[in-house]
Amino acid sequence: MKSSLADHKVGDRVILKEVLDAQLTIQLYSMGCVIGEELLIERKAPFGDPMIISVEDSFISLRKDDAQKMQVILSE
Amino acid sequence: MEKKAFKVEDKLRLVLVGNPNSGKSTLFNSLTGLNQRIGNFPGVTVEKKIGSVRINEKVVAEVIDLPGTYSLSPRSEDERVTFDYLNDSTRTDLPELIVVVADASNLKRNLLLATQLIDSEQPTILVLNMMDVVERNKQNIDIDKLQKRLGIPVIPMNARLGKGTRELKSIIGNYQYKKANKFIEDHESKDALENTINRFEKIKGIIADTLTKIGESRTAVITRKIDSVFTHPIWGFSIFLFILFLIFQAIFSWSSYPMEWIEGGFLVLGNWLAETLPQGVLNDLLVDGVLAGLGGIIIFIPQIAMLFMFIAILEDTGYLSRVSFLTDALLKRFGLNGRSIIPLLGGAACAVPAIMSARTIANKKERLLTIFVTPLISCSARIPVYTLLIALVIPADKQFLSFNLQGIVMMGLYLLGFVAAMVTAFIMKYVVKSEERSHFVMELPIYRTPRWSNVAMTILNKTKLFLFEAGKIIIAVSIVLWVLSSYGPGDEMANVDAKYKSELAESNADVTAINEKIATDKLEVSYAGHIGKFIEPAIRPLGFDWKIGISIITSFAAREVFVGTMATLYTVGNEENTEGIKAKMQRATFSDTGEKVYTRATGYSVLIFYAFALQCMATVAIVVKETGGWKWPIIQLVYMGALAYFSSLLIYQIFS
Repeated sequence: MKSSLADHKVGDRVILKEVLDAQLTIQLYSMGCVIGEELLIERKAPFGDPMIISVEDSFISLRKDDAQKMQVILSE
Repeated sequence: MEKKAFKVEDKLRLVLVGNPNSGKSTLFNSLTGLNQRIGNFPGVTVEKKIGSVRINEKVVAEVIDLPGTYSLSPRSEDERVTFDYLNDSTRTDLPELIVVVADASNLKRNLLLATQLIDSEQPTILVLNMMDVVERNKQNIDIDKLQKRLGIPVIPMNARLGKGTRELKSIIGNYQYKKANKFIEDHESKDALENTINRFEKIKGIIADTLTKIGESRTAVITRKIDSVFTHPIWGFSIFLFILFLIFQAIFSWSSYPMEWIEGGFLVLGNWLAETLPQGVLNDLLVDGVLAGLGGIIIFIPQIAMLFMFIAILEDTGYLSRVSFLTDALLKRFGLNGRSIIPLLGGAACAVPAIMSARTIANKKERLLTIFVTPLISCSARIPVYTLLIALVIPADKQFLSFNLQGIVMMGLYLLGFVAAMVTAFIMKYVVKSEERSHFVMELPIYRTPRWSNVAMTILNKTKLFLFEAGKIIIAVSIVLWVLSSYGPGDEMANVDAKYKSELAESNADVTAINEKIATDKLEVSYAGHIGKFIEPAIRPLGFDWKIGISIITSFAAREVFVGTMATLYTVGNEENTEGIKAKMQRATFSDTGEKVYTRATGYSVLIFYAFALQCMATVAIVVKETGGWKWPIIQLVYMGALAYFSSLLIYQIFS
């Protein structure tokens, strides 16, 4: 079941399924954050904004607004 | 003299392209060493680093270091420069070779840019940098296979240690362009998004074939551990503030020694020149005008270099992007962005490169606001003014909680600038309208020890730029000022001489004291004196005398001119140029009331004025370029001027 990345907690491993913003998609892709990849939620600042995720060995920071546009499912 | 045989050399241009944090600058530095200079791209102000390197006996290459970019679909101004350069079909004066620098420990995303360049059908080779990290993370890359799959030469390197340089040069020297197969056919990619998605699918296949991984990545584990402290909501902020505090304390205690040597050196040089050169106008101009003005600025090089050093170290270790992460939530509320912290910190060194670094902010409104408030951050050009005035009104041995009080006031001024910048941004947030959505997608590079050669090169380049840019203006202003303060309208100057003639003739006359009186009186009747007197009514409520008035006028060229101006104003006519300018300013009095000029109230008032006013032609020029017009720089100039005037007025009235 798909849900937004922002709703997951630190330590969750999720698979990126869809990004609801074309501009954001390109930005994420150019940093290696691609649909089908497993993301790990590394850390969240107070109120969940911003947050750090990792894709393979890259660390990326995102705002909550960005994370809300990213649809994910929990990884097995 | 032995004459060397003239050799015809082949010229080649190497263009370095790569993701941010891929070690591109390290490679550039290790290739070119000191054979590098900074220029500008035509039409824009992004720094263009150009160097030269000998490839082999026959070939010398010119190397261009383009700004880091993740892909060929630019999302910020900085990336656009690289994009425009690579898509400019008019650059055909030299045969070219594009060197894509990739962080081998993040191969997948680094290959995106490489494959885009392959498809642009330009001669391209790929450097796999940071092979040491790959090894440390127990990964293995099959270079031969990668080479075959991409269809271009691939060179593994560790630019930090210079490993692989020889192989790189040999491949460049023997390079023959062979058209590689297109990675993604044009018909497969109707738009940028689809193209990127298809490209990544293919890259994934290549990675699966060429990269083997045994176990967990060590660098990621270490980075995670450090981040648990550095990005912690409480510890992270405390550490950041502590680092800032240490930087300022260090700058002011460490730099005092070289500064004393420089001041002493200039006194000796000035006296030596004054005695050696034939007496006359030229002697006066050189010693009292040019040398005094120049000495006033060179003395601050140690502090400026040190500030650039700290910023370079923080950036190179990867720490600055953590500061962006920490501050984004806060800065967002003020209409800025976590990335604004880099211009804001850089603004503490110099607003000009800082405003240029705002190009990495993709959102237009956030970028404009960052540009608007960055000049409020106290830059190194204010250091001379601050240092001189603080030394004048606060005793050096005064302590507060066992820290030097001068250092604390200095830090307070920086804090004040920061607060003013934040408040201004907050107001501007409601004035400037924007529909654009704001993103904050930023890479946090792994922590690394700073590459000292990069740090050294940054210090050297930035200090040189500052010295030459500021130096040109200061010499010009010093000369004009010397003329204005050495000559006066009508015979007023001669009248002063006549007035003291009889006093000097007396047998028990104190010649030194009388000469100083003559110098002061002459300055007052000079052209500069008349100008200063003219504006004095407007600035007297702030506690400024006409000499400060002249300095404020000349400071519109650049703030640091204040010290040069003070040096020139207080040196003109002083026969024995043996004491520092500080001592002379300490004795200065208002000509009408005879009260001391540099009281605490006036000192604080001038400090506040210089903290807020936009007195820098270079900043105005860069804002014109970066915002594409005169509208914003004019608003900025008027706003900061009004802020400075009324704040100084308030401070003076409170303290006097």
